[in-house]
Amino acid sequence: MNQFTFESKEKQIFLGAIGLGVLCLILSFFMDSTPYHSRFWSNFLHNTVYFTGIGFLAIFILSAKLLAYSGWHTSFKRIWEAFSMFLIVGLVLMLVIIAGIFGHWHHLYHWADPEAVAADPIMQGKAPFLNPMVYTIFTIAIVGIWYFFAKKIRSISIAEDNEGGVLNFSFNRKMKIWGAAFLPVGGFTSAAIVWLWVMSVDAHWYSTLFAWYSTASWLVGMLALTIILLIVFKSKGYFSMVSAEHLHDLGKYLFGFSIFWTYLWFSQYMLIWYANVGEETIYFQTRIQEFPVLFYGNLVINFVLPFFILMRNDTKRKTGTLMLTSIALLFGHWLDFFQMIKPGVLHTAMESAGEHAHGFTSGFTIPGLLELGTFIGFLGLFLYYTYTRLEKAALVPQNDPYLKESIHHHV
Amino acid sequence: MSAVVSPIREPLVTGGKSYHQITEDICSPTERAPGKAWILGFMVASGLLAFGVFSILWTIYFGIGTWNLNRTIGWGWDITNFVWWVGIGHAGTLISAILLLFRQKWRTGVNRAAEAMTIFAVICAALFPGIHVGRIWVVFYFFPVPNTRGPLWVNFNSPLLWDLFAISTYFTVSLLFWYTGLVPDFATVRDRAKGFRKKIYNILSFGWTGSAKHWQRWESLSLILAGLATPLVLSVHTIVSFDFATSVIPGWHTTIFPPYFVAGAIFSGFAMVQTLMIITRKVLNLQDYITISHIESMNKVILLTGTMVGVAYLTELFIAWYSGYIYEQFAFYNRALGIYWWSYFAMMACNVLSPQVFWSKKIRRSITWTFVMSIFVNIGMWFERFVIIATTLARDYLPSSWSYYTPTWVEVGIYLGTFGIFFTFYLLFTRVAPVVAIAEIKSILKAGGDQYLEKHVEEAKKPENLEEVSH
Repeated sequence: MNQFTFESKEKQIFLGAIGLGVLCLILSFFMDSTPYHSRFWSNFLHNTVYFTGIGFLAIFILSAKLLAYSGWHTSFKRIWEAFSMFLIVGLVLMLVIIAGIFGHWHHLYHWADPEAVAADPIMQGKAPFLNPMVYTIFTIAIVGIWYFFAKKIRSISIAEDNEGGVLNFSFNRKMKIWGAAFLPVGGFTSAAIVWLWVMSVDAHWYSTLFAWYSTASWLVGMLALTIILLIVFKSKGYFSMVSAEHLHDLGKYLFGFSIFWTYLWFSQYMLIWYANVGEETIYFQTRIQEFPVLFYGNLVINFVLPFFILMRNDTKRKTGTLMLTSIALLFGHWLDFFQMIKPGVLHTAMESAGEHAHGFTSGFTIPGLLELGTFIGFLGLFLYYTYTRLEKAALVPQNDPYLKESIHHHV
Repeated sequence: MSAVVSPIREPLVTGGKSYHQITEDICSPTERAPGKAWILGFMVASGLLAFGVFSILWTIYFGIGTWNLNRTIGWGWDITNFVWWVGIGHAGTLISAILLLFRQKWRTGVNRAAEAMTIFAVICAALFPGIHVGRIWVVFYFFPVPNTRGPLWVNFNSPLLWDLFAISTYFTVSLLFWYTGLVPDFATVRDRAKGFRKKIYNILSFGWTGSAKHWQRWESLSLILAGLATPLVLSVHTIVSFDFATSVIPGWHTTIFPPYFVAGAIFSGFAMVQTLMIITRKVLNLQDYITISHIESMNKVILLTGTMVGVAYLTELFIAWYSGYIYEQFAFYNRALGIYWWSYFAMMACNVLSPQVFWSKKIRRSITWTFVMSIFVNIGMWFERFVIIATTLARDYLPSSWSYYTPTWVEVGIYLGTFGIFFTFYLLFTRVAPVVAIAEIKSILKAGGDQYLEKHVEEAKKPENLEEVSH
């Protein structure tokens, strides 16, 4: 089956998920013990950032693979091309956050509050970067550029299906040029976007490694979602040429990049712990003391679990273990972004309202049911959009020069 | 490894070699008398080595006072050279272990020489902490062994000690990995040799017979060592970066250091591989094994890692401003515009700007350009370490202790001496061992070339054939 059909049953499921997400968002707007409806807004920001990042990593990895003469992923590369199309949806969702900044609807960012900035010399120093204009322009320009590249590469890839031939390498060459241009663009801009969207939630705190750390988190999330979808699609009869060999290699990625993520986590944590500078340690102090479930849970789900489950050869080839780990990691890295965003938002909102955060706060200390519902809603939206994009092109890029390699892939 | 190879891939071995020709081409340099170029090179290298030994003895006899280090600048050329050499020692294991995991078959052309280079570079690096302690006769204090020194025990909290463990582990695994690969090749040399030479190579190859059992064990051992070596590629330079980043010194204490040092290490390691390979392939006539495509691939890695280092430089600069912390801001202002501005400029120009020429395919495939660029990168990466170390130390919190540092002839002599060690070893290596892994290159001969035939493409472009192939 080379033509993907978005069945009406699936449509209903995803629409149901989106409905659940919207309902949870509405409920979290009203059932909120924090000022400025911070629970609602932080859930919105958190999920938008996570899924937009997955879209970005899809096009980033696709470009890297083009340049590295990678062949084995060809048989399922349409999934990544479809993922990357979500960037445009992500941009629209970010516009809501931006509108909120200008309309003072929320208090996600301390720096967006002119009164707070006036009383704070450190934030005044950062003001040339941390201000609504830069946030808006960077978000629109950067995500727009990402989407442009994703669109371009996908359209060449689809054109190859119709106009190319197996020994016609011109499409591959063209894609390579766009991919080569995208890598440095994506590499530089993703750092800026992470600083703005995520790191500036803790407006005083800074870490040079932060951008690479969050990008690694996105990457593992993206791989986990790819594996989940591939297994689901295979059970429906699509992607028959994707075998245990491909899943094995994706499993290796999941394993390897989970360790890489841990390496970055450790590098950031250890250096801050060792130097023991108050301005930096406060970040982890807050998390260890007030958010212990997030702090330790993050490591258990994203490191201990994949490390021990995926260490063996066979667990990377069996659907059950691979699916289980992928689901855990898709959730785990969502949780990682949760712990990056929520503590900062909570403190900002509380301090600004003249209160102090203490004890358990629904939707912040740990993800509550409304957060899980919102996650399912955004996942439903992501998948809905991905499925509609998959429908628009053949599933197998039959004229890709690497396709035969991919079909005969053997680990 | 898939048996089907896309026709888009360029062949990895050119010249339509047969298996026998490969043996001939690669073994023969070890079987004939060295040429004039080799002898001249060896004389220069051993001369430098001798001068290095003299400078080291001078240091040991008269003490560290013969260096220009002072109270403010306690680390100078010594640690700069140490980090520089460790960095260079990263390419070999990256090529043998990580590229193996990523199934980059082109690695077989260069892995042997790169691994050898790694080992020699790590030897050069390890020298510096040894002599830097000043009292070389108590250097065994480094090792946590039971002793009667009472409270004089190693400090396990110190990254300098972790460094000792990291580098000695790395050296051991790299050496084992390299030697394991050499065993079947030494056997090949042995089978062609006569007399005493045969006896030596028989010992070196552990009596390898090439039986199925031998190959099976050899394969398992290689795989285990690759698995061990992979985390080591990351860990060594990570821990070197901890030497700086665990401190509270502005400009040193920054969390991006670990991955950024690793990227820089790979960058400089590949540059050194290029420098050596371009000469080696020419002198030993190995152009069919270390092809222009190999050089191009390595240039791509240099472009990638150079740009990653560039992202890290700019991140550091930006976050220094963003932090709002005046000492951090001063540290970077001082780097770029302070007394050592020229070394910062050299670093930026050589590491970030100049590799950008490799965006051009023509330059990537040009031997002259590659050679010049590889030297540039080597220089740039040396300056990077100098910038991090000397510039930062020269301007500390107390303006009254600010200082300036230039090396003495002794420090320069030791640095030149490490070049002597490095090249003496490398030149000897090219005489006694096959410079390209014979067994491994044979394993990719069929899979990495047969499919790519220019005429194949030409024929297929004819309309009647196109139809057929696409089905």
